Amino acid sequence: MIFVFGPLWSGKRTVAKALLGCDDAEFARRAAWDVQELVHDEVDLEEFANRLSAHDVVIATEIGGGIVPIDAAERAMRERAGRLNCLLAARADKVVRVFCGIGQVIKGGENA
Amino acid sequence: MTTLVIGDAASGKSAYAERILCKQSGDLPRFYIATMQPFGEEAERRIARHRDMRREKNFNTIECYVNLSGADVTQNSALLLEDIGNLCANELFSPSGSGENAAEAILHGIERLQARCQTLVIVSNEVFCGGTDYTGETMRYLSILSYVNRKIATLADNVCEVCCGIASFYKGREPR
Repeated sequence: MIFVFGPLWSGKRTVAKALLGCDDAEFARRAAWDVQELVHDEVDLEEFANRLSAHDVVIATEIGGGIVPIDAAERAMRERAGRLNCLLAARADKVVRVFCGIGQVIKGGENA
Repeated sequence: MTTLVIGDAASGKSAYAERILCKQSGDLPRFYIATMQPFGEEAERRIARHRDMRREKNFNTIECYVNLSGADVTQNSALLLEDIGNLCANELFSPSGSGENAAEAILHGIERLQARCQTLVIVSNEVFCGGTDYTGETMRYLSILSYVNRKIATLADNVCEVCCGIASFYKGREPR
């Protein structure tokens, strides 16, 4: 599994499609994206990460970077999304961080 | 050797910082400087989680919410300071903090720790990518924390950012 993450609208899906070399229809079958939105409904993050890892590509938007929110539920969401990212990165063969449409391999690359 | 570890919320920065500290410290006495004040249930839960992570790693925990210069650590120790975001908020906003002199108080404390211990790992926070629409006090906090981060980066041998548990180095490299 390749784990791709980065800020909102940074070009993660475009980078991921290029990595797989596939069209939209095939991409929809092989990839899971916006997984940070799903942590709300998942009780067991480890088990969720295992399930997601069956995809060829998993994509998450980084949401833990701003000032800590005042709202407790929002804080908990950020926390869970971050933990999920750590779990996915640990399971991934390759981790790509996307910045301005450019993918940087931080695990499983030649120099990473 | 001093290493600065920066990351988002729940980025895996604590686990990484502990790992590199333990790897470097061998038989040196290990100290953990905790900066989070146990206010409320959520803070207590966080503290308990970090305590669990440190169990069996033989850390002596020192609670230090303000006045880092006063932290009582032994010479030639290995020290993990976590984290600058909390320390900065405490210095700025708590009644016992140094207020206007928050940055100087933190930086002076760090220089003193560098002089005393052999290995120092400092955890700080990346909180600067959530937009610019903040009110006065929050903006002041952000500006002081970022100043402190930049200064620590000049004092440190190694500087890295941790994302999903993986470190990328901007200065130096992962200590061996």
